[in-house]
Amino acid sequence: MEKKNISTAYWPWLPAAFALAGIIVFIFATFGPPASSSGFVSTIKGAVQTVAPEYVENKTHYAMMPDTGSWLFAFVLGMAMGGFIAGRTGRIPVRDIPEIWEKRFDSSRTRRFAATFVGGFIILFAARLAGGCTLGLFISGSSQLAVSGLYFGALIFAFAMVTARLVYGRTGKEE
Amino acid sequence: MGSEIWLGLFSGIAFGFVIQRVGATNADKMAKAHLMLQGGIPKFMLMAIILSAIGLLGLEAAGVANTRVLPTSLVATGVAGILFGIGWGFCGYCPGTTWAAAGEGRMDAVFALIGGLAGAAVFAHLHGYLVPLLYDPFNVGQITLADWTASRPAAVILLVSIFGLCIGAINFLWKEKNDGRTQ
Repeated sequence: MEKKNISTAYWPWLPAAFALAGIIVFIFATFGPPASSSGFVSTIKGAVQTVAPEYVENKTHYAMMPDTGSWLFAFVLGMAMGGFIAGRTGRIPVRDIPEIWEKRFDSSRTRRFAATFVGGFIILFAARLAGGCTLGLFISGSSQLAVSGLYFGALIFAFAMVTARLVYGRTGKEE
Repeated sequence: MGSEIWLGLFSGIAFGFVIQRVGATNADKMAKAHLMLQGGIPKFMLMAIILSAIGLLGLEAAGVANTRVLPTSLVATGVAGILFGIGWGFCGYCPGTTWAAAGEGRMDAVFALIGGLAGAAVFAHLHGYLVPLLYDPFNVGQITLADWTASRPAAVILLVSIFGLCIGAINFLWKEKNDGRTQ
């Protein structure tokens, strides 16, 4: 019974896709292609330019991005707020360590937090090299029929699936 | 500047809310999507792109679309896709979901976000060295599917067909075991 409650706390994928597409089209009409990895650069630019303005001025990657006073930063900040509101108003359980990770390894918070730090480092380093992430390159790009988005999308899914298999082995299947 | 900030904030709140509700901020669900055990999130992403591509065609017809196609660099986009996939499969978060999951209260997402800031800062530092090395020499330009088809609507039909087939393949290949609702 409890399990049923949890599973029905999630929205089914099809209506959720309509909701997300509505938001994406709204963003294309009112701003431009939605992006979230750019918001990381804006965050750092806003922070670093207060202490080392010359460094920020001389780096191409910061010169090509706006600072925190921008749509890009407001969007990622908004996503945190949206996640907060959704979390507080819904019935989806919030955990610091995913169930499958705990089953595969242990409930060490240090290990999980170190792993997500490393994972976060890799995805943002890679996203900045490509010029976008799941949203800014795959979703925005593919919506605009961009080959860059489709190429990136095929690779991220393929390598994420292989990596998850190497990390979790048969853990997920034993449930 | 003012309206841009409010639009960004509003769009972000709506986006973060929806991805939390569908379960994309839950790294457990993301791992199970990658392990071919739950197909809901990949089908959600693919369907959102199909609908956005059709919606964007409408915006273009109305003359109110703001588009910007990123170039394809065979090496940089490829290497980045491989690295990104490894990181995504390893931690179960992508850049956007770290913000929403951190807001939701997931502590591991807070560390993914901090790691992400560090990764972006390191790349920004090395941009002047890496971009001329990996990106620029292999940049084939802002190519789109429309370059290979007769018209933009034809390219949208091609995209919808490809992604529709992917959704069908997920339905067929991903082994759902429990409740049907989120899958």
